[in-house]
Amino acid sequence: MALNIYGENLDSRLLIGSALYPSPEVMKQAILASGSQVVTLSLKRQNPAEQSGQQIWRYLQEIIKQTNGHLLPNTAGCKTAKEAVTLAKMSREIFQTNWLKLEVIGDDYNLQPDPIELLNATEQLISEGFKVLPYCTDDLVLCQRLYDLGCEVIMPWASPIGTGKGLMNPYNLETIRLRLPDATLILDAGIGKPSDACMAMEMGYDGVLLNSAVALADNPVLMAKAFSQALQAGEQGYVAGIMEQRQTAHPSTPTLDTPFWHQS
Amino acid sequence: MNIHINGKAYSLGNEPQISVSSALTLHFIEPQQSTFAVALNGDFVGKAEYDNTMVKNGDSLDILQPIQGG
Repeated sequence: MALNIYGENLDSRLLIGSALYPSPEVMKQAILASGSQVVTLSLKRQNPAEQSGQQIWRYLQEIIKQTNGHLLPNTAGCKTAKEAVTLAKMSREIFQTNWLKLEVIGDDYNLQPDPIELLNATEQLISEGFKVLPYCTDDLVLCQRLYDLGCEVIMPWASPIGTGKGLMNPYNLETIRLRLPDATLILDAGIGKPSDACMAMEMGYDGVLLNSAVALADNPVLMAKAFSQALQAGEQGYVAGIMEQRQTAHPSTPTLDTPFWHQS
Repeated sequence: MNIHINGKAYSLGNEPQISVSSALTLHFIEPQQSTFAVALNGDFVGKAEYDNTMVKNGDSLDILQPIQGG
């Protein structure tokens, strides 16, 4: 089934980052292997004479063309709503998209999003026509506020960026899913293993955004395939309907007319 | 006048102000062949405004380009 992001149907439910790969070529091969049609990227000060940014930009353009995909610029490094809004406008001019992964960081130690600045930035950006995909903590009320502001897609964290710790608080994530049944929920950040992504999909999440888990694997291309399959398994498990846990054992094999033993 | 471009100081003698377009030539070798966006003192400046927006003494210009991101 397709993932719908602001009216765009996508074949893959995996959104993938473009950072930290051993080389641009490995990045390209891994992204193609993942099947993802949404690739995140960013803006940074650079010396134009070095041309390194232009090389990455050419690679990303090739990938997007080949996958019929979408770029998802982020606002990494921003700490205030004002910074994020300025960076968003710069990204829109360069990348010609209203989509925005909105990041506003409130703490340098764990790169935790600042909920107040995030809400302020979201409000301003939506009023300027952006399609905001906010990266946020797994706080139900914050997610509700973002949804109420007009975010069709909300992206709570699994755990802090780059930690690979997986789903720190499954209860919070399940509650967000339960309370916001109509929101498109993408689990973003902290994913370490394919089983983490599978777990999110089994909860009914609509997709997963990750970067380090693939880029820092010994074999990023193979890991990208593993994540693709894990998402599919988790989604199919959710759709199929997972059995309820039971407190006591129940024999799987019918016991009626069991031959020979334990019979008087 | 003194300005900063991407954190680097530039001294431009007695010029009272220059346009963003002119300031870009200080930084770029070939601006027309690069992909970038500009902010002046933290506010976005669209490409259509480069000729009309003036950079004054003490101003900071940020020129950003695409980079990998997560």
